[in-house]
Amino acid sequence: MGGPIRLYMSMSLDGYIAGLDDKEGQELGRDGGRLFNWLDDRHGPDVNGQVYREAMATGAVISGRRTFELAKRWGGDHHDGVPIFVLTHHVDGDEPLPGTAFCTEVLDCATRARAAAGDRAVMVHGAGAAQALLREGQLDELEIHLVPVLLGAGRRLFDHLGPDHVELELTRRLDGRDAAHLRYRVRRSD
Amino acid sequence: MSRLILNMAMSLDGFITGPNDGPDNPAGDGGMRLMEWLDLKAAAEVGDFRPRDEQSRIVFDEAMSTGAVLVGRRTGDFAGYWGGDHHDGVPIFVPTHKAPADNPYELVHYVTDGIAACVAQAKAAAGDRDVMLHGAYTAQECLKAGLLDAMEIQLMPVLLGQGRLLFEDLKPDHVELDLVRSLEGPGVLHLRYEVRR
Repeated sequence: MGGPIRLYMSMSLDGYIAGLDDKEGQELGRDGGRLFNWLDDRHGPDVNGQVYREAMATGAVISGRRTFELAKRWGGDHHDGVPIFVLTHHVDGDEPLPGTAFCTEVLDCATRARAAAGDRAVMVHGAGAAQALLREGQLDELEIHLVPVLLGAGRRLFDHLGPDHVELELTRRLDGRDAAHLRYRVRRSD
Repeated sequence: MSRLILNMAMSLDGFITGPNDGPDNPAGDGGMRLMEWLDLKAAAEVGDFRPRDEQSRIVFDEAMSTGAVLVGRRTGDFAGYWGGDHHDGVPIFVPTHKAPADNPYELVHYVTDGIAACVAQAKAAAGDRDVMLHGAYTAQECLKAGLLDAMEIQLMPVLLGQGRLLFEDLKPDHVELDLVRSLEGPGVLHLRYEVRR
């Protein structure tokens, strides 16, 4: 069995993953950088470092198009040259860099990312991609870095999910400096 | 010194009720899912909500040892003011623009001269004990006015998708928090935050 498709996102207690006006030149939104203070410890020996190293050990990346472009396509390499699959509504003439692929079908994207990652987990980035995968039943886990702050405004992680409950199971909790790393498994009714 | 502590169950996506909440549907559609950290089965049988799990019991017992309750008008109305007694006969304070003409509950006090006055009265009544705050709108008002001391959130492992958000309509100013305690019970994570001033 392959590794899980796992969302990695920093989120404020009030549910935001970016501040207001996230755009080019201000990719995290106004003051959205507050959500990433825990990454200052990413090379350290503690919990924050552990979680970062786990994320960097994933075998493929799925990103929404918006996140992908805001991140300037990670210069074609998110980490270690693992393949990047970008969910998009339309593939335009713009040739992706080697190692990145545009996908218009969620299921196809998930299948290809799983195959590419093999036994390793697939990292998901971006609210849009997360919600699309959830709706298609393709998101297996969520690793939420819950940051002790109320941002008050910005872009929410969970919007447009619709009225169906998604049941989760908390499978791991690591309390790091300035972030509680909460890993949830998505429970399926089938 | 008495402190004002918000006590709410919230889904991971931030909701405290399902959609379509109203007087006949106080938790909203499917919103009772958020109450499952309480021992609802025992509650139905013997009228005691106290959880069996030790960790959840700590949080429950703390809430039940508060010396006053401050509740939003909407939440209070929907809950029927718990029949007039939330726990142990402690007074219940309700900030509102206009008190109802008829108040059948001896313990329920409507306060019409602002949220700060309401908090002050509740704290005075609670004496050495804390004040338990309930209700999203009132929590936001207290946060905006700098009156909230701490939050005890029961984070439920579910995405409700729709409903009433706990934190909405705050200004885009950061409110910094300190996570001072996390307790894990079956199907619930209890997170206690201190509000930094």
